[in-house]
Amino acid sequence: MSEAADAEGIAYKREHPARAALRRLFHHRLFVTGLILFGIIAGIAAAAPWIAGVDPQRLSMRNKFLPPGETWLFGTDNFGRSLWSRVVWGAQLSMVIGASVVALNAVFGTLIGAAAGYFRRLDNALMRVNDALMAFPAILLAIAVTSVLGPSTLNVILALSIVYIPRTARIVRSSVIVLREMEYVQAAVAAGAGHWRILRHHILPNAMAPMIVQLSFLFAYAVLSEATLSFLGVGAVPPTPTWGNIMAEGRDFMREAPWIITIPGVALMITVMGLNLLGDGLRDVLDPRLRIQQ
Amino acid sequence: MKRLSLASTLAVAAMALPAGPLLAAPFTCPSRGGDIVFGQEANVNSLDQHTSSTISTRNIAMNMYESLMTRDENNRPILELAESMEESGDGLTYTFRLRRGITFHNGKPMTSADVAASFNRYNRIGLQRSTLDNVAGWDTPDPHTFVIRMKQVQPTFIEALSSFSVPIVIIPSEHENDERQQLRTVGTGPFRLMEFVPGSHARLGRFEGYQPNTAFEQRTGFGGYRVACVDTVTFRIVTEASARVAGLETGALQAVEDVPTRSLEGLRRNSAITILPLQNWWIQIALPNTAIPPTNNLAFRRAVQAALGMEDIMDAATDGNFRLNVGFQYPNQPSYTDAGKETYNINDQARARALLRESGYRNEPITILTNRDYPPMYNSALVMQQQLRAIGINASLRVVDWPTSVQMSQRVNSDEWHFFHTGWGTQPALGALATMQFLVAPNAAYHPRDDRDDPDVLAAWNAMNNERSPEARQAAFATMQRLVLERAYAFPFGALTKVQAVRSNVQGFVPFRIPRFSNVWIQR
Amino acid sequence: MIGVAARRSLSAIPVLLIVSLISFGLMRLIPGDPAAAIAGVAATPAQIEQLRRDLGLDQPFHMQLLEYYGGLARGDLGRSLLLGKGVFAATMERLPVTIGLSLYALVFTLLIGIASGIVAALRQNSIIDQAAMMFAMIGISVPNFFLGLLMIILFAVHLGWLPSGGYVPFSQDPAGWLASTTMPAFSLALLQAGLLARITRSSMLEVLRQDYIRTARAKGLPQRQVILKHALANALIPIVTVVGIIVSLLLSGAVVTEALFSLPGMGQLLTQAVLSRDYPMVQGGLLLVTTFLVLVNITVDVLYALLDPRVRYE
Repeated sequence: MSEAADAEGIAYKREHPARAALRRLFHHRLFVTGLILFGIIAGIAAAAPWIAGVDPQRLSMRNKFLPPGETWLFGTDNFGRSLWSRVVWGAQLSMVIGASVVALNAVFGTLIGAAAGYFRRLDNALMRVNDALMAFPAILLAIAVTSVLGPSTLNVILALSIVYIPRTARIVRSSVIVLREMEYVQAAVAAGAGHWRILRHHILPNAMAPMIVQLSFLFAYAVLSEATLSFLGVGAVPPTPTWGNIMAEGRDFMREAPWIITIPGVALMITVMGLNLLGDGLRDVLDPRLRIQQ
Repeated sequence: MKRLSLASTLAVAAMALPAGPLLAAPFTCPSRGGDIVFGQEANVNSLDQHTSSTISTRNIAMNMYESLMTRDENNRPILELAESMEESGDGLTYTFRLRRGITFHNGKPMTSADVAASFNRYNRIGLQRSTLDNVAGWDTPDPHTFVIRMKQVQPTFIEALSSFSVPIVIIPSEHENDERQQLRTVGTGPFRLMEFVPGSHARLGRFEGYQPNTAFEQRTGFGGYRVACVDTVTFRIVTEASARVAGLETGALQAVEDVPTRSLEGLRRNSAITILPLQNWWIQIALPNTAIPPTNNLAFRRAVQAALGMEDIMDAATDGNFRLNVGFQYPNQPSYTDAGKETYNINDQARARALLRESGYRNEPITILTNRDYPPMYNSALVMQQQLRAIGINASLRVVDWPTSVQMSQRVNSDEWHFFHTGWGTQPALGALATMQFLVAPNAAYHPRDDRDDPDVLAAWNAMNNERSPEARQAAFATMQRLVLERAYAFPFGALTKVQAVRSNVQGFVPFRIPRFSNVWIQR
Repeated sequence: MIGVAARRSLSAIPVLLIVSLISFGLMRLIPGDPAAAIAGVAATPAQIEQLRRDLGLDQPFHMQLLEYYGGLARGDLGRSLLLGKGVFAATMERLPVTIGLSLYALVFTLLIGIASGIVAALRQNSIIDQAAMMFAMIGISVPNFFLGLLMIILFAVHLGWLPSGGYVPFSQDPAGWLASTTMPAFSLALLQAGLLARITRSSMLEVLRQDYIRTARAKGLPQRQVILKHALANALIPIVTVVGIIVSLLLSGAVVTEALFSLPGMGQLLTQAVLSRDYPMVQGGLLLVTTFLVLVNITVDVLYALLDPRVRYE
């Protein structure tokens, strides 16, 4: 992403910033740790069809509540379903949901943020709606939206996007406002460049860095929020094996079969931690100014 | 039946119900004092027993309120605040003589004016006020007499009046105009309300001015001879099953409801804890949508019926705590019948496949509607889906929340679902009449096209209501059950057991449809 | 400073107006029947039908909207369908639980977050620093409901030290309140404590590099005085901003925590209201909660202006 952004008309920077940034990233200890943690989960998610083994939805009432062991790597749940299979497919769903929320945020957050920051006339209206959406406690808004749309994986993605796009838009907007007043932008305006051209070539590429940092944290929030929503019973429809669903179903058995909630819980934690470390690394390298505010 | 000979029939034309002299000694508390904390599963929003149909409200409120009539341990109607009830020869008036010396928790003596006020409030906002549809009015000829005048004869009136679904509890007349859900909690029962924090707990204390009903010697059902032995009972909302079990083990809770099966093994080994299964808590059931194809096709529904294996379904629904049960009543009830038992638990894939071929099913997608708010409904739907898939039905689950599933299921001619999972609890316990009303319009549970009854089923229902002799009415019920099962208008899976448990020093606690804390004491 | 407060308050009005409109619209779009939700599983279709009529749920959309804003203009937030009582009264009943829990969690957050942040900054790059930052990283990565569950398993189920749920009001029994809210408050605080530790550390590091700190040290002032009086005072500015964010995060987190520990707070009230389609409760409750959050943000801005004189001239 940053390469694509940098490739286009950043004449005012001196060297190959993309390559320099990448080199610095891979020397950043936290970033590399995060990349490994996240990479493991993402790898498992991608390989799910091959490594999951049995169908995650297959019931086997005779095999219920088997503890982790040789035949059942992660044990079985109250329906005798393989927890390994469910957690692996759950990883895939978490990745899909996280990535989709990030993608939607990247597109709509940028559009709204750029529009608000660049066109002053739109700013007030857009930001008031933005403020209103941000004023709701995030989880309650997500619960209300999923209740409206009905529980499904797609609707969880939409709900989380509605919750988080205003936050992304706000960050993009503040970058755009600063950039709009820059001399080189004013010069382009004076030279008669169109709004679209100015936004595309002069403003957005330079607003990318804080955006990328924000999106990596957003991925973590999205994964976490999806699990929370499913845990509360308003997320993806059971028996869809999301981590939150598995934990919600294991809740009644946490005394006798604690593995049902701990295994997906730990997987969730690893994912979120990996993403947070990635985000820290990206922030240190791409956008040192943000170090304090975040 | 020595004092109230209503039996299960209620066909007696005129009844005098005198309270005869007592020979045996009534219940006395082996020990008095102490506090009980009960871990309740579901949240309570209001203690207004007139306007709330939830089980969680009844759990608490029925320890504080009483009615003219209620039900005994075997679900027969009994007198509670009345000492006698007389039905006139023409069946058009019911005269209740009220028991003397009854006072409300606020110290006011109860008179017929309070009973009339309670009926007025119930008639205005009571949730089951259709009970009074055939009632012309009520009179209070004197402070101890209450007369109900009927518009027309209704042989089932006393059965309805004594129902504990949304009972007409007696409140002081000054509370007649309390708004819906806002009833001030003052009754005549053995316990009075000390503190109620919605979402958290309700604390009840012994009502020192309570007058036990001397027509009985023991507690029975919702009524009988009741004494508060303990000082206080706190109903604490503990939604997590594990937390209820942990609380019971540590002694933070003295009694709990709904113990998960997985915890039973450990609890059984614990001598400080007594496990009390409450059998026949509800009937786990799935209902077909017969308004749309292919579930409007009898052969298809029979194929489904043949495919169902009730052990697996009930095992998943209840995590092992169930009894297989044919039909809509339980074996301990006088109305129980196994009519139509050939349709139950067939579990024969070959036969199911043959029926499926016969039905001309062409792999149309089948939607099983269920919810996650009530795990037994979700779990049974999951297993049913698997069993239908096993015979080649393209079944998928549609999981929504409870209010949405009810709304979807009640839409006439809905094409959104084919099978709806629910549970019938209170009505089967109230009897055949209360249960079978589910299977007639309006809102017939098998959802016939345009909500138009199957005439044979409707005829059986009318016979259940109008036949003169109790035997004929019971026979009509058996016919109706057989018709419903043979035409696959309902798939009752079995009876769910709800496990309650107490600390072993809590004595006299017998599982019932509400946790009853009268005649319960703490052993020292 | 008064100017800041006034300006911010004015700009909050349209926001709250949009909030009220969004929550009204959302609730009307939710499928599901409030009567079915309120009547419960034991109700018959006839009882549900009766309740539906009693609740007046058959009015057209625009009438309901007019009624809602008419009520708001009179200062009437409406009446909860589920509880039968006024939305404001119901909120006031539950708010103390959530505020108590949030304050308790805030104490945990501040103690853990600021202390570990300062220690880490003072011993930059030492083992202590790394341990503190590792802890902070775990803090911001553990889902609070998972932490809550783990704590229930350990402290309630296995050790039996703390109750696994339920609530004891502070006024009734302070010790009981402490016992019933310690696990929820801690599980709620850890995420925010992690955030705060990271911010305190970087903001302290920034300040410690400033000339006046070096001067103070060179003058031979005791370390404690340098840190508390000079460094922390200046590091507070970004910290105050973050505390504002933390308060709203705590309130949001309380939704899950209250559900997990069965605490009768605002989170539970509103979640239950959404799930049982209690329209007036959701509309009114959300409006009250967001108003509260907006007020917190205004307070933060004002404090910010107090702490940092430069803000006034903007």
